[in-house]
Amino acid sequence: MEVSVMSSSQAKICKTELGCRDLRSCFGKANDQNKMFSRKPNTVSFDSQISRLRKAGLRFTVKAVDSEPILEAKSSTSSKSHNRSRLFVGLPLDVVSDGTTVNQARAIAAGLKALKLLGVEGVELPVWWGVVENEEMGNYNWSGYLAVAEMVQKAGLKLHVSLCFHASSELKIPLPKWVMKIGESQSSIFFTDRSGQHYQGCLSLAVDDLAVLDGKTPIQVYQDFCENFKSAFSPFISSTITGISMGLGPDGELRYPSHHKPAKSGTTIGVGEFQCYDTNMLNLLKQYAEAKGNPLWGLGGPHDAPTYDQPTNSNNFFNEHGGSWGSPYGDFFLSWYSSELVSHGNRLLSLASSVFGDSKVDVYGKVPLMHSWYKTRAHPSELTAGFYNTASRDGYEAVAEIFARNSCKIILPGMDLSDEHQPHDSFSSPELLLAQIQTTCNKHKVKVAGQNLASGVPGGLEQIKKNMLGENPIDLFTYQRMGAHFFSPEHFPSFTEFVRSLNQPELHPDDMPSEELSERN
Amino acid sequence: MAAVTVDSLIQNPTLLFRSKSKVLLKPSRSLECSRNRKLLLSRSSCFCGFKIKPRQTSLVVRASSSETALIDNFDTSSTDDVLYKETFPVNRIEKVEGKIFIRLDQSKNQQDWQLTVGCSLPGKWILHWGVSYIGDSGSEWDQPPKNMRPPGSIPIRDYAIDTPLNKPSKGDMFHEVKIDFNPSNEIAAIHFVLKDEETGAWYQHRGRDFKVPLVDYLEDDGNTVGAKRGFGVWSGALHQFSNVLLKAEASPADSPNNNNNESKDSKNKNRHLEGFYEELSIVKEVSVGNLVSVAVRKSLETSKLVLHLETDVPGNVVVHWGICRDDAKRWEIPAAPYPPETTLFKNKALRTLLQPKATGNRSGALFTLDEEVFGFLFVLKLDDNTWLKFEENDFYVPLSGASSVLGQHGQSESTSEEISSNSYTDGIINEIRNLVSGLSSEKTQKTQTKEAQESILQEIEQLAAEAYSIFRSSIATFPEEDVAETDTDTTKPTVKISSGTGSGFEILCQGFNWESHKSGRWYMELQEKASEISSLGFTVIWLPPPTESVSPEGYMPKDLYNLNSRYGTIDELKELVKSLHKVGLKVLGDVVLNHRCAHFKNQNGIWNIFGGRLNWDDRAVVADDPHFQGRGNKSSGDNFHAAPNIDHSQEFVRKDLKEWLGWLREEIGYDGWRLDFVRGFWGGYVKDYLDASEPYFAVGEYWDSLSYTYGEMDHNQDAHRQRIIDWINATNGTAGAFDVTTKGILHSALERCEYWRLSDQKGKPPGVVGWWPSRAVTFIENHDTGSTQGHWRFPGGKEMQGYAYILTHPGTPAVFYDHIFSHYRSEIAALISIRNRNQIHCRSMVKIVKAERDVYAAIIDEKVVMKIGPGYYEPPSDGPQRWSVALEGKDYKVWETS
Repeated sequence: MEVSVMSSSQAKICKTELGCRDLRSCFGKANDQNKMFSRKPNTVSFDSQISRLRKAGLRFTVKAVDSEPILEAKSSTSSKSHNRSRLFVGLPLDVVSDGTTVNQARAIAAGLKALKLLGVEGVELPVWWGVVENEEMGNYNWSGYLAVAEMVQKAGLKLHVSLCFHASSELKIPLPKWVMKIGESQSSIFFTDRSGQHYQGCLSLAVDDLAVLDGKTPIQVYQDFCENFKSAFSPFISSTITGISMGLGPDGELRYPSHHKPAKSGTTIGVGEFQCYDTNMLNLLKQYAEAKGNPLWGLGGPHDAPTYDQPTNSNNFFNEHGGSWGSPYGDFFLSWYSSELVSHGNRLLSLASSVFGDSKVDVYGKVPLMHSWYKTRAHPSELTAGFYNTASRDGYEAVAEIFARNSCKIILPGMDLSDEHQPHDSFSSPELLLAQIQTTCNKHKVKVAGQNLASGVPGGLEQIKKNMLGENPIDLFTYQRMGAHFFSPEHFPSFTEFVRSLNQPELHPDDMPSEELSERN
Repeated sequence: MAAVTVDSLIQNPTLLFRSKSKVLLKPSRSLECSRNRKLLLSRSSCFCGFKIKPRQTSLVVRASSSETALIDNFDTSSTDDVLYKETFPVNRIEKVEGKIFIRLDQSKNQQDWQLTVGCSLPGKWILHWGVSYIGDSGSEWDQPPKNMRPPGSIPIRDYAIDTPLNKPSKGDMFHEVKIDFNPSNEIAAIHFVLKDEETGAWYQHRGRDFKVPLVDYLEDDGNTVGAKRGFGVWSGALHQFSNVLLKAEASPADSPNNNNNESKDSKNKNRHLEGFYEELSIVKEVSVGNLVSVAVRKSLETSKLVLHLETDVPGNVVVHWGICRDDAKRWEIPAAPYPPETTLFKNKALRTLLQPKATGNRSGALFTLDEEVFGFLFVLKLDDNTWLKFEENDFYVPLSGASSVLGQHGQSESTSEEISSNSYTDGIINEIRNLVSGLSSEKTQKTQTKEAQESILQEIEQLAAEAYSIFRSSIATFPEEDVAETDTDTTKPTVKISSGTGSGFEILCQGFNWESHKSGRWYMELQEKASEISSLGFTVIWLPPPTESVSPEGYMPKDLYNLNSRYGTIDELKELVKSLHKVGLKVLGDVVLNHRCAHFKNQNGIWNIFGGRLNWDDRAVVADDPHFQGRGNKSSGDNFHAAPNIDHSQEFVRKDLKEWLGWLREEIGYDGWRLDFVRGFWGGYVKDYLDASEPYFAVGEYWDSLSYTYGEMDHNQDAHRQRIIDWINATNGTAGAFDVTTKGILHSALERCEYWRLSDQKGKPPGVVGWWPSRAVTFIENHDTGSTQGHWRFPGGKEMQGYAYILTHPGTPAVFYDHIFSHYRSEIAALISIRNRNQIHCRSMVKIVKAERDVYAAIIDEKVVMKIGPGYYEPPSDGPQRWSVALEGKDYKVWETS
């Protein structure tokens, strides 16, 4: 014989609603309700939901429903043909600063949960050379970053790691101590400008293959670093870690540090300076000039280029009409200067793809958006940064080509910038430049991922959205960056709105097929 | 018939039946059945269709009789070098099998009959029963005649009786109840279900009530018509009965039809009432409380840490353990040596089988750990499917700095707090995940979806706020420079002060009523009471509106910078604030931002031109109230029709108001605001004002009507609380709001004795406090609802029930002046002191354990239990916590852990 036990909550329903008059029918009812609302037996209710959805003609994956809340669930039902945009958020640059400790771990943990709930795909983690390999060559301390990776994994998020072989001045994260020490006696490992000033934010690309670091070349040191990273993070790679950015230069970007002197506030951004004055660069230039049969051109950089924060017309080199940039010398110099950068990029990308090629991760490199002065014919900002891109020459062909060759993807920052918000006299056009680079990348079938320059740019979120969902949809966007401002009441609500709006057109409960209604009861 | 123990019944059933000369309803076969059944049941209860729904608040049985015994055991040896000592309570579910028996027989006088229902399991058993009369159609119950009701019976409305089961004598192991009845009573059947008061579980018969048909036994029912009718009923009844009792069994010849036929036969032959005896297995899930004790000592010889773990959980207990090296509590495997019977589990943890102790039913192990180990993590594994955790988390024993322990208690307390706060957020996350997974597909539950989405967004917002406060407070650090700062960040949870919550531990006193202006010297009068109010345990006091006002109470402000009012002069106000500060009270100014009375008429003779320092013109008045001919924009909220409503969308208005608030902060020393009539303008402006004036605490009055249907308040007031929450949301959580919803629901619950209203559909409190506790300022009365206005007075005489609710629950409670200085004073003081003593705060967890017609009970933070209502409730007497009564009053009772 049987006795069934029921919990009082059900009994309560009977009692209050039906006064215990007909326990049979109300028990059945209570049971049904239980099934519908029960939280505990997740799998049960789950299956039924899934099957309902299948019948409703929707393609949901279990994963989508289970762990990727708002964003994915919605976007996976998209009927549009474009690929789902994945949104990442950058972790604070100094999330680890001593190698071991996770700074503000509680805030990070709360932040990760918030992002997960919001439906963000993952986070980006900057891993600093100067943090991990700080003490001596080959001595790596990954523990802090491993802890972060674990937190990210636990939060159910993906991780994009940026390997930073540069320094961060605002965070006081320099290059490794031992590298800086070498630099004290051997300043030529750093980029140098015309006035002889060194840029200590990264190594000069001219020493890439010179054994300047205690008998090793920087390329070898980077390679050891990457390989060590790969083995230390092997449990995460391709599961949690889905992408790796290779640091390519200043701020991780493929460029010369042509603009490293911050512009005085209120002034428009100057054209920047060529960085070809360290002895190794000059050597390369000399060799190149001699090979080209113009040894005199190899004695130094252009004599008539403006200085960092000067406008384009303050000296002759970038003049719109008749500037030296259009002369045979200009072409000679700019060809060499840009090809050195491209070769450097190729070295690092092929290094990265050789290390990570066998892992299921995407390898990225960042290309800067040197948008100021873009509307002039000479594009001086791009030229000083190493991109021989002018009104009459596509300087990004060669760049896209090396990314294609190494099966790497390009990260383009500055997707939050719109022309509308640029100063009128700056001749700047982030939108046009972005479009140009994207077109070139499309041509070479190089995938483009996006990034914003900073959070809080006026109109930034709208612009990002436009870029993500526009003609050249971005399949991955990394939003910079978690921190006090990010979570502040001034910013976070609009970010939330942004994330939700990314998927808004796609599934509204009211638009769902109604057949489920009948199925339900 | 005398009491017979279950066992003897089982062993000797034939005896029982033979003693009756009557033919059995179910002849000896039923005996075999019961034997069979017993075997089957013991093998698999599922087979027999038992449905056991574990209840959250299941009965807690304390397995270990003495709580301290475990620790003392190894504590006494060397008390002085114990670095850490903690006893964790753990609950596990144990299934207890037992029997329900039902017996029908003739009493000694051969006239009356007796139905006996018993249960062999311990518990507070209640028979919930009723009868159906001959001729009744349908399946409804009726009250049995009075003479049928055993002593101690309580009628439940008009259809049932609750009768407790008692032990026939002290030594008996089972409970039973006997119902005597006279067969001539025209009763067709007795119906019942069994209820365990302790756990709240109901025991039914395959989802239906037990039904004992009587009608056909009636010997004196010689009337053929009656017999026929009786037969009809009986047949149906038997059908049902057999369905209920016998169907699932594989016992011989038990098909209902068969049975039916046979009984028809027997019926036709022997027309008299027959006794029977039935026995049913039941399984009850009881939660058994056990203890896990951990003590850490430092070994002086080896300078290693020795961790002693012991538990009274019976059986083979495996400790699944590891260590961690930092706060992230990542499991690592320590270096050997390990205790005996230790195995490595997937390179992730160690598993050690606890060794039984010589004394008692305990087992334990000793772990030797290196000094540098930061913490010791473990869970207990009872079998493959049963793990014991500490409040859903790993047990965690902090070892870092164990050599410099501050004090055992401080340490352990802070740890458990941290753990519970972690588990709190984790819990929320899980809950949200579940909601989300539901939400993405549950299209038919549209409203549900929106609600869920809303709550997810709220959670996201809260998490973001948490992250924000930490990020903001700690500047980007660099190790060489700021090690200390990073440390404090990770070890000391900072108390977040936000204007929406204050410290989170605030208790508000409304420091005036509707009459306070009458004396003309309220500030001075209140000043005399400052220390008294503070000593009652309040942390914040709300003062009346301070500005010059057209109405004496202050809510019709005119010149905002003129603070000479009917309550006193500006200097008296400053003095008052000073002395309130002195006794540790934060002071809220009542600011009326929605409307302002004008000084002058415009050319049409309309009062809408202002004077004083803020000499606004009619552009400061909203355009959509024809009475005041404002030239501003349309109102961003509802209009208050007695005075010109201020247009907050005007930049100059906002600038002036911000300046004014800043001035009030500076000049008077107000710490925060009570914002009058915030329904009148958009919450976003409030955020603006609060950002500018940076109050310590702020609360808005968003008062609109609850939903009623045909004059009855709806159970579901979600729309009402949603409106309040929307407002709080618009302020970005910078302000709390008075929880008008809770007040309204308390009104109905108390007034009409409908305490079930105090739980919403999700088992949470039904007011704002159930959805956004940290922003809910709960109250039962204020100067408008009560006092001499009485617009919406709290049910008279039941105020203390209201306070027992809000002062034990999350949210920030506010107590009305009139109640403080009334005969309720000592009870209110006692409740406040319970709240403070147990550190209940605005985000405390509330678990509703009862919400029935006449009683509501809840456990708050596992530290306080409260009940209100005339009904019966006692907290589990033998759970892990020992509850002792902290306060008792009319229809309410509060317990705390002792």
